[in-house]
Amino acid sequence: MQLSHNWLQHYIKFKFTPEELSEKLTMLGLEVESYERLGEKYNGFVVGKVLETEKHPNADKLTVCKVDVGKETLQIVCGAPNVAAGQTVAVGIAGAVVPKNQHDPNGKPFTLSNVKLRGVDSFGMICSQYELDLGTDKDGILILDSKAKVGQSLASYLGLDDIVYEIGITPNRPDLLSHFGVAREIGILVKKQPSLPKVRLKESKTPISKLFSVKVIDKVNCPRFAVRMIRGVKIAPSPEWLQKALQSVGLRPRNNVVDVTNYVMYECGHPMHAFDYANLKGKKIVVRQAGLDSESRSRKKFVTLDGKEHELAADVVMVCDGEREVSVAGIMGGENSEISDSTTDIVLEAAYWNPSSIRRTAKALGIQSDASYRFERGADPNAPLYALDRAAQLILELAGGELLKGRIDIYPKKIKEKIVSVRTSRCNEVLGTSLTTPHVTDLLRRLEIKKVKGSKDVTFFSVPTYRVDLDREIDLIEEVARVFGYNNIESKTISSIDFDHPFGKEILSDRIREKLVGFGYQEALSISLQSEATAKLGSPTPIALLNPLGQEMSTMRTTLIPGLLEAAARNQSYGSNDLQLFEIGHVFSESAEGQLVGSVMEEERMVLLVSGQIEPGYWQGEPRKANIFFLKGEVSDLLDACGLDSWRFIYYSTSETLADNPIFVEINGSSAGFLGKVKEDVCKMFGFEGDAFVAELKLPLLESQRVKEYKTLPRFPVVRRDVAFVVDAAVSAEAIEQCMKGGGSSLLRAVDVFDVYAGPNLPDGKKSVAFTLSLLSDEKTLMEQEIETEVRRIVKRVEQQLGAELRSN
Amino acid sequence: MQNQIAQLREEIEREIAAVTNQQQLEEFRIKFLSRKGLIASLFDNLRNVPGVDKPIVGKQLNELRQRAQSVLDEKILQLKSKPKSAEHLDLTLPGRRKFRGTKHPLMQTLDEIKSIFVGMGFGIADGPEIEDDWHNFSALNFAPDHPARDMQDTFFVKGDILLRTHTSPVQIRIMENNKPPIRTIMPGRVYRNEAVSSRSLCNFYQVEGLAVDKGITFSELKGTLLSFARQFYGKDIKYRFRPSFFPFTEPSAEMDITCFICKGKGCRMCKQSGWLEILGCGMVDPNVFTSVGYDPEQYTGYAFGMGIERTAALLYGVDDIRLFYENDVRFLRQF
Ligand SMILES: [Zn+2]
Repeated sequence: MQLSHNWLQHYIKFKFTPEELSEKLTMLGLEVESYERLGEKYNGFVVGKVLETEKHPNADKLTVCKVDVGKETLQIVCGAPNVAAGQTVAVGIAGAVVPKNQHDPNGKPFTLSNVKLRGVDSFGMICSQYELDLGTDKDGILILDSKAKVGQSLASYLGLDDIVYEIGITPNRPDLLSHFGVAREIGILVKKQPSLPKVRLKESKTPISKLFSVKVIDKVNCPRFAVRMIRGVKIAPSPEWLQKALQSVGLRPRNNVVDVTNYVMYECGHPMHAFDYANLKGKKIVVRQAGLDSESRSRKKFVTLDGKEHELAADVVMVCDGEREVSVAGIMGGENSEISDSTTDIVLEAAYWNPSSIRRTAKALGIQSDASYRFERGADPNAPLYALDRAAQLILELAGGELLKGRIDIYPKKIKEKIVSVRTSRCNEVLGTSLTTPHVTDLLRRLEIKKVKGSKDVTFFSVPTYRVDLDREIDLIEEVARVFGYNNIESKTISSIDFDHPFGKEILSDRIREKLVGFGYQEALSISLQSEATAKLGSPTPIALLNPLGQEMSTMRTTLIPGLLEAAARNQSYGSNDLQLFEIGHVFSESAEGQLVGSVMEEERMVLLVSGQIEPGYWQGEPRKANIFFLKGEVSDLLDACGLDSWRFIYYSTSETLADNPIFVEINGSSAGFLGKVKEDVCKMFGFEGDAFVAELKLPLLESQRVKEYKTLPRFPVVRRDVAFVVDAAVSAEAIEQCMKGGGSSLLRAVDVFDVYAGPNLPDGKKSVAFTLSLLSDEKTLMEQEIETEVRRIVKRVEQQLGAELRSN
Repeated sequence: MQNQIAQLREEIEREIAAVTNQQQLEEFRIKFLSRKGLIASLFDNLRNVPGVDKPIVGKQLNELRQRAQSVLDEKILQLKSKPKSAEHLDLTLPGRRKFRGTKHPLMQTLDEIKSIFVGMGFGIADGPEIEDDWHNFSALNFAPDHPARDMQDTFFVKGDILLRTHTSPVQIRIMENNKPPIRTIMPGRVYRNEAVSSRSLCNFYQVEGLAVDKGITFSELKGTLLSFARQFYGKDIKYRFRPSFFPFTEPSAEMDITCFICKGKGCRMCKQSGWLEILGCGMVDPNVFTSVGYDPEQYTGYAFGMGIERTAALLYGVDDIRLFYENDVRFLRQF
């Protein structure tokens, strides 16, 4: 919200510089985001008087002027056709920044310096309206009021010697959405109470009730509705002071009546509305819900004064006249009853509306107005009468007219000040202070929160109705802390630490992250929101957002693979082709009900992606390139490093994954994910060229369940024997390995492939696979004969079961 | 026979002295010590030696073989210890390297924060990213239809399911499932329906903290966070706590430290204020305790939260937080 420094001074006197005020308000919780000295851009510009002019000796279009700028008289060369002696003008002096350069196509600002123009010295510049950014006129210099004081700053001539603060008001403090509201906070700082202008009104003899009536049907949503009426006003533009005041807070002036209602809102915080009496049919106001159109039984249409048409839900609270809706209650008036140039009689409304009803309607209609902003946060139910009187006073001053006697004020149930109790002991318990009851009472008194009664520890306070945020003891404790000063509360660390807490200190994802970094993988993080097409790659039932930022981010990710493919493609485009990336993150899909949250299956996963070379280029030999066996090895290493009880690869053919020939991973009997080479069309979707190998695993399954336990070390040496079989090309290495393991006794501890060969010297359709067998006995050193027997048994089984032939070396 | 032995001995001594490289060494071995070498052939001739001489000649032959072997072994050692330059080994050639991986800078930042809080006795917990209204808003004292909900632009899924807008729902889950005392931090990914720009993203990381026990005060909150800030940003920082508003804490505060880029003089990063806002915090609102079934009269607690992207951006001087999600390895490997 914007606030004017000068305007604040109407209610409380203070001597803070803008820096000081910003700092002090910020420390009270009113975050001053910035402030602007309005006149700042006219630094170095003054009001001058052209004393004499003569033609430039060397240029037809230039005039040499003598200009009085107060302290001195300057010689200025001017190119404007309209310059003449006796004019009062705006003069920029060397060093000033001209806001807009007439000779630059974009009007870029430039800094003035003393120059020679065609041989004549010029000590400044007489400016045009355009150059000063005050309008569009470029054709001649701007002529100022002839009575203006020569030598005064242009900023003060323009009435811009004000400072405007941009303050972030938190949603719990609607009472701060006005100058008077902020003046109350300044009152805490200067230990004074601010005051609103006194209002004295001259009323006519005609009572308002003679000409107008109000009926409130929806009493729940409209606890208070008050009006005043003025006859015979003259609608005109507002005087300059009012226009400037509104402009300083970012409002556009309209006419004297509407401007007054806005001024009063920015003064005391209460939104108001003015109706054209002539357009209120039946000379009355009825507050009721919109209902449906009586003929069509469909939603009624209503045009607000910004010219937009809205469809009204039946329960929208409306201000109506005798026949129709004239205003969306507390949000925006209607076009059908707004103040126009021909208006003469006006009805002023100041009401109090139920905040949640206002918020629902404002959201549904998509309107945010100054009024709805305040009402949905909570206005002061006891402010309307002052607002009405104050607005009436100003309108009478500015637009004339006759104020009818009295007000209509429908306020069946007065909303009283809340009584809230505070225990001083509790206050100290929460804050860690040692305040006394009188101290607490004094701090709150500065906020006009007054002690009603109290015993030793417990004090009852009455809370002004404009403080909608204060209901409970803790709310007042916060106010105590705020006025006491957060920075006056000591910083301590004293409470006992429970070292025996049930929360882990280390999380699985961190351990996996460490391992993968150790393996040489670069961690990546991708946005979790994707297009629906991308999300469908990972699950047929992705989770879509109701209000996405756009199609490309409409769906939650179902797999981490696309994120890395996109990253890989981006890196390729920068020439980084050799990639080993990983990401750990959550994926989501629709599942049956009964999940932690609704029917959302949410799962933490990790993904690896390798492409290009797997090691940097080297002067000895070719660097290796990524392939499926490299990635398979990496996954094996990772799973081993995780200390899992049991895991294995499973091979079956499916087109369901993003990989061509996926290899599945099973951990402790649960399917954990897969690895493989990404399908070409999927790569293409993300603009990735070449081969990408990915592995995606469910992270929680990587948690080791294994109890670490020492087993006695073998006392005897391991013996290795190599065997090679010639088998049909279709027989898998795993099948041979399983067969060998089946044939071996307890002596056989490991079987490792060390060579695979097919080609010359072998018949077509055959291959040779060579294994190293590791044999070990726990009881003794194996004798040659025992080894022979064992190997022969193993070989025989492979020969019999797989039709293999032992290859002679 | 014995002459031949003497001759061979001389020959061995002469030839071994001339050996200067591996090839000559191998030639020497083959000539004298291999199965068909000169010494072996003398052994073959042993059967022609008269019976009485056999033991002596045999012994001499054995000695000869041992001598040949020992000069060979000696030479092997000698050649091994020769300076490599003799073979023109260029040691300036680069070593064989692997690709190096690093943690994502956001995770590095988070790690540092985690380790500080773990050191102060906090545990680590997490929760789901897709949440329900209860955990994300209602239980955290966001009244229905209250504008406070607008502070966090929310992505909705369906019904009351939404993408969590902060890590605070994990507080609720922790308290629902545990009894005090609680002292834990909760890092994780959160979502806001905000247009992507150099300053905001639709998803980002936060770390939340929660401590609940008897006797926890605002003063303690300040002390704990000050200790964190000194460990994380440096011992000599200046700081301030200023009032703010979060529905789930009261009193609520924001913590600022002096801008470490301009040392408080005012710069672009601190919007000329000289202060950097580093976190939001406050005392857990009694309504939150009531939501989770804690007795607010018995327990007090504090909570705090900070954004990791912003923290990392400040720390590393990154001026566009979108870089954190572009996964350009030229960027990632700088950290
Ligand atoms: Zn700075």
